[in-house]
Amino acid sequence: MKITVRAFARFREVVGDVTALDLPEGSGLPALLAALASRSDESRDLLVDEQGTIREHIIFMVNRKRVSRSALDSIILAEGDEVAIYPPVAGG
Amino acid sequence: MITITHEDFDPGAYIDAARDRQIGGIVTFTGIVRDDGITAIELEAFREAALQELEAIGEEARSRYAIQSVDIIHRIGTLSVGDHIVLIVVGASHRGDAFRACEYIIDRIKETVPIWKKEHLEEGSRWVPGEHS
Repeated sequence: MKITVRAFARFREVVGDVTALDLPEGSGLPALLAALASRSDESRDLLVDEQGTIREHIIFMVNRKRVSRSALDSIILAEGDEVAIYPPVAGG
Repeated sequence: MITITHEDFDPGAYIDAARDRQIGGIVTFTGIVRDDGITAIELEAFREAALQELEAIGEEARSRYAIQSVDIIHRIGTLSVGDHIVLIVVGASHRGDAFRACEYIIDRIKETVPIWKKEHLEEGSRWVPGEHS
């Protein structure tokens, strides 16, 4: 299934602003992050720790709804979903 | 009006536009680029999500405080020291709710709205760290 990933700020500089991923049906955010992390050493260092665990400072939105940390592992993505990843915000 | 824009704004024009017969006080917050030894600052937004979040914050403020109007203008793009970053204009019958709502709105913006700042210095550039994850 096709998923669009949008990255912002420091994440955009490392991962690229828009990435089209083709993931197996039933994939969730950990699988998406693993796919992104495998694209470069710099991406991997930014997104996951030595154990492959999602780094704590990453904020996720799926279809422009914020995903709480407790829901990270339970979300199942669907064809055409837009996932945004970004660091803590600093506007205002 | 709630908007994200590259254009500068005139706070006075927004204050005048907020005037209404039911409004007894208008409180504003203007965020400005401070001179921290930078040459410029770059503001980036996840525009669609940021606009949606600003709208939600405006609605939250209206439901929590007795206010009549809310305007939020947030700039993006490359700004210099002294430039406007953000303007919040709250109109209410009484000052207490206007002050509290204005503070609530700027605090919430700093917590949740997907906007980031990159500072440019003589010796390079750095992202301003966010305080909320």
